Amino acid sequence: MSLYILSKERLPQFVKALQGKFRVVGPVVTETGFAFDDITDPAQLQMDYTTTVLPPKKYFLPQREVLFSYRNEKENGGPQRLEMRPVYQDVQPTVIFGVHTCDMNGVMLYDKVFSEGFRDEHYMERREQIYIIGIECLHPCDEASFCKDMGTLTAPPIYDLHMTDAGDHYFVDTGTEKGERLLLDNAYVKMAEKEDIQRLGQVLSAKWPRFRMRLKMSRDQTPSLLTLGYQARLWQELGDRCLACGSCTNVCPTCFCFDVHDENDITMQGGERVRVWDSCQLREFALVAGGHNFRESKASRVRHRLMRKGKYIKQVHGLLGCTGCGRCERACLVNITIPGTLNALHEEMQLESGI
Amino acid sequence: MATKPKIAFFDFTSCEGCQLTVVDLLQTHLGLLDLVEIVQFREAMSEKGEDYQIAFIEGSCTRKSDEARLQKIRAQAAVVVALGACAHLGGVNALKNYWPIEKAQRYVYGEHGQDAYESYPARPISAVIPVDAVIPGCPIDRHEFLRIVQLLLQGRAPHLPDYPLCVECKFKENACLNYHGIPCLGPITRAGCDAICPSYGDGCEGCRGWAPEANFAYMREILRGHGLSDADIDARFTMFNHYQFQQMGEPAPVTTPLGPDRTAPLPTSTFAAPKED
Repeated sequence: MSLYILSKERLPQFVKALQGKFRVVGPVVTETGFAFDDITDPAQLQMDYTTTVLPPKKYFLPQREVLFSYRNEKENGGPQRLEMRPVYQDVQPTVIFGVHTCDMNGVMLYDKVFSEGFRDEHYMERREQIYIIGIECLHPCDEASFCKDMGTLTAPPIYDLHMTDAGDHYFVDTGTEKGERLLLDNAYVKMAEKEDIQRLGQVLSAKWPRFRMRLKMSRDQTPSLLTLGYQARLWQELGDRCLACGSCTNVCPTCFCFDVHDENDITMQGGERVRVWDSCQLREFALVAGGHNFRESKASRVRHRLMRKGKYIKQVHGLLGCTGCGRCERACLVNITIPGTLNALHEEMQLESGI
Repeated sequence: MATKPKIAFFDFTSCEGCQLTVVDLLQTHLGLLDLVEIVQFREAMSEKGEDYQIAFIEGSCTRKSDEARLQKIRAQAAVVVALGACAHLGGVNALKNYWPIEKAQRYVYGEHGQDAYESYPARPISAVIPVDAVIPGCPIDRHEFLRIVQLLLQGRAPHLPDYPLCVECKFKENACLNYHGIPCLGPITRAGCDAICPSYGDGCEGCRGWAPEANFAYMREILRGHGLSDADIDARFTMFNHYQFQQMGEPAPVTTPLGPDRTAPLPTSTFAAPKED
């Protein structure tokens, strides 16, 4: 792939050129921080931002998504029949600017989850029209970040374009052919030359010392740590604290569980089947007909979440289910954190560091 | 289609704001009248049919004489729905339960109020009659009202969200108020209002009642983090849910605003207690 130089002054033109043809979204300033939102004016786009409450996953798997509509069609004197029409919501050419490397790792996992085994056509229809423009993380978002521990501080191979801030210009790496076309058709760029590439190397190597490690063990050790610690005392302590509010999973870039239900319209002769984000931390998640709950206690739910992040997803899809973005830690009012939990478990199990 | 089910609205001690919400709903969802026939609705019509299958009851039971009327509605209706926080929880009316009832009567109605107005500790209607469904909130959420009515008409369980409000705040990507200096009871309150108060910057006050797994101990810690005293925290916990705390048993987690002895002099009402001389 090729490396280009985009001067910072020309970024607004690039955004503007895209706006007629694409839905353009990216980080914008909110009252309390940043959020991914539609860019209506190129000046709104904040390529240098810390973190957002929700990751860009909301563009890949919306909070509420209509899957199909249905209507009771009764022919004259004939039998009733239910007519169903598939709905593909939010499927439109979309460019997402400013995706941090942790969140790109989240999308990489989503792509596996929704395409391997059962192919989710609603996800895939939308996904195929999304361009991802990443931004290289040169500073940690805040104290909650542990991307370096999770190995997500490097862009995974899912971006169409990836930008690195070099002061007065961006380096733009092209990850896909369609990404390169998007850039060349809509932006004024020049090819990077030998000295530019050396400069990029300096920028990239300078960033690593700025990120700290928080885990007392290697991430490769988490599956076995969780296996050994399944019966640990720690889970009960965390379960007592947990508010069962589901914030950790809702803000997580890798959580993808959803619930499906029907919403009737006012006539009650038709309606829509929708899926909405669900959370394994909520009481009803593992409640089944007859009243049995497979994870009745909050302790078992907190444990389940960690098992998913650190072991189960890795077993199924080959990737850890945590990107170290720190969002769950920021969202948790009772300070249940992934590094804190893994470190406490590591301590309780009295294991060697493995680093 | 068979004849439409007949529904009726009744009010007890309340502001009738929930019924107004239903009136408001009818302006945008007139199709509701194709599904049901309203036979009694003081807010919207003068006719009073007694032949109804579904009764929506707003307001809490605050008088002995309310009981017979509730029983009568229960005897007629196949389905009784508690409409709004007062009917569902006792609501703000139950704040008077802090005090001996005679004191509350004197405070509200004046020196001779006890003789003029009947009163006793406020309770949700479920304390008096069996209730089949609840539409929580102060006031109710119109979309939830419609959804519950549709479920009832389909003969399905009138299901409410059983998770805290935080879920809806996160869906809307609201900044967490508890992190921005505004006490919010969202983490212990049942969702379903689409987090309307936090979305406009106001902390949740718990009008929809507690989520089934409300973690009061850690909610208290969060509120202490705002610098609130335990008395302040109790006052927030009990604003809509005083009756629930009364029912939660010993030791009572509530400090009265008048102190634990409940004998401090009552504040003087500015408008309800005319000067005797």
